[in-house]
Amino acid sequence: MQRQRESTLHPVDLAVVVTYVGLITYVGIRFSQRVKTAKDFFLAGRSLAWWVIGLSIIGTNVDTNGYIGASGNAYSIGIAQANFEWIGAIPAMIIAALIFIPLYWRAGVYSIAEYLGLRYNQAVRVVAASIVVVMSVFAMGVAMWALAITLQTFIGWPIWLGILVSGTVVGLYSVAGGLGAVAITDSIQVCIMFVCGLIIVAIGISDAGGTESFISKLTAENPTHLSAYLPADHETYPWHGVILGLGLVLSPAYWIGGQAILQRTLGAKTQWDASAGMMFAALAKTFVPVLIVFPGLLALVMMAEIEYPDMALPWVIKNVLPVGISGLMFVAIIAALQSSIDSSINSTALMITRDIRHVLMKNHNPDADLKIGRLLTLGLLLSAMSIAPYIGNLGGIFNFLQSLLSLFQGPMLALLLLGALSKRATGTGGIITLVSGVALAGILSWVVELNMLYVAFFTFCYAMPALWIISGFTQPHSEEHLKTLTYSPWRAR
Amino acid sequence: MELPVVWANYISIALFLALGVGVWSIPKSAVVPAEYEHQSWRDLRFWATGLILFQIALYAYFS
Repeated sequence: MQRQRESTLHPVDLAVVVTYVGLITYVGIRFSQRVKTAKDFFLAGRSLAWWVIGLSIIGTNVDTNGYIGASGNAYSIGIAQANFEWIGAIPAMIIAALIFIPLYWRAGVYSIAEYLGLRYNQAVRVVAASIVVVMSVFAMGVAMWALAITLQTFIGWPIWLGILVSGTVVGLYSVAGGLGAVAITDSIQVCIMFVCGLIIVAIGISDAGGTESFISKLTAENPTHLSAYLPADHETYPWHGVILGLGLVLSPAYWIGGQAILQRTLGAKTQWDASAGMMFAALAKTFVPVLIVFPGLLALVMMAEIEYPDMALPWVIKNVLPVGISGLMFVAIIAALQSSIDSSINSTALMITRDIRHVLMKNHNPDADLKIGRLLTLGLLLSAMSIAPYIGNLGGIFNFLQSLLSLFQGPMLALLLLGALSKRATGTGGIITLVSGVALAGILSWVVELNMLYVAFFTFCYAMPALWIISGFTQPHSEEHLKTLTYSPWRAR
Repeated sequence: MELPVVWANYISIALFLALGVGVWSIPKSAVVPAEYEHQSWRDLRFWATGLILFQIALYAYFS
């Protein structure tokens, strides 16, 4: 049943990889000729069509954890892993498409932090942008490191060479072409990912003897692997926590407040394209488990001899896929990582340029935004490449920052929801709720030692009434100011 | 008393149904620009409904 192969790539696979790198670089550099202003660089000149936006959102969303980690998780817990793509994404994406994206679009902002600055005050804007910026640099370092590890595993390149080559390729089109190049290359990358996913499904089910045989082999040893939810006493993913924490708080905070995700919708050519792009992404997201969950299940069915669950996908690539296709699958993993790195770099450069520099430097020159944006993109890329080799040693700091970001999600969602859906929320209420909500999350997380899913839910439950009550005692913005910043479709338009 | 795990599927389906009701409470004018008013495929409420029905089917199957 298993076709064991050597650990390095076959020359045909290597040719596929080289062709892909050449294609992506060519497309990215061609797109760079269109960049003349900061708006072209950060928002693709507001020219993106809905299908490009949708594919690019998925490219940004599926990263290292989404590919290798999720396959490993699926190997351990089964189809329950798909909750991150279904209830942990689709409702929030629909709400983002129909309510928040039209709102951001009408406000004419470049970033979600800029929207928060308009809706609340500049302090909220700078705090929101700063936390995301710090986190993003480390996240890019981790992604770069994961990319280098993948290259080392499959091609045998040393870590430094993997970082240098992948950083150079991403840098060539990100620095030159901005969001437009990023979105187009993301779209190509996602198409490759889906083609590879479908090929794995076809070959896997065929090797297993058909769908019924696949299911019976899977459930014979793992009876709960086709259940969408795990028991309430499950240590990591109890079903209450998944619905309350992931479905109702973490997922909406990510899909309606994530800059890297939403930036491509702000670069749409029309408001309809922006919303339709997110809706199309939701359709694609529904099928993402085919890419990232199925390989984990397949490794189980084929009784893969692996040391730890995260080896499930590499095992499938090496032992199930034929020559040429395994090269394409390897490309899909590189693509998933690259599309996340390039999006993070572009959105982080945007937030530093506009949300931090514009606010803190009163005498800034807006005409310099393009030049500064490009320099920052290069600087961020070099920073990520510099810390990538040491990321293993920085694991503690990274985990701490990741926890910090999670603490931020409940209060941030409350600010976005009440800010968008009500005129009552005020600037003072916003900053007090944000600071106190994060403090409460810290206590629940580190003193009470609550599961992160519950921390997110309880801090959200605190922040909603807190913002409502505090805002009642503080000065609101004028009706005129809030007209384009709040959502009320039932009002006469 | 602990609810059986299958209740998670029922709750998910109920949440998706509630979302569907919410989607159709949004007026068409807020979803479809005036220039596309006669192109039904551009009404994103239909797109959302398709997605919701698909999700309900998934949570009904994997229970």
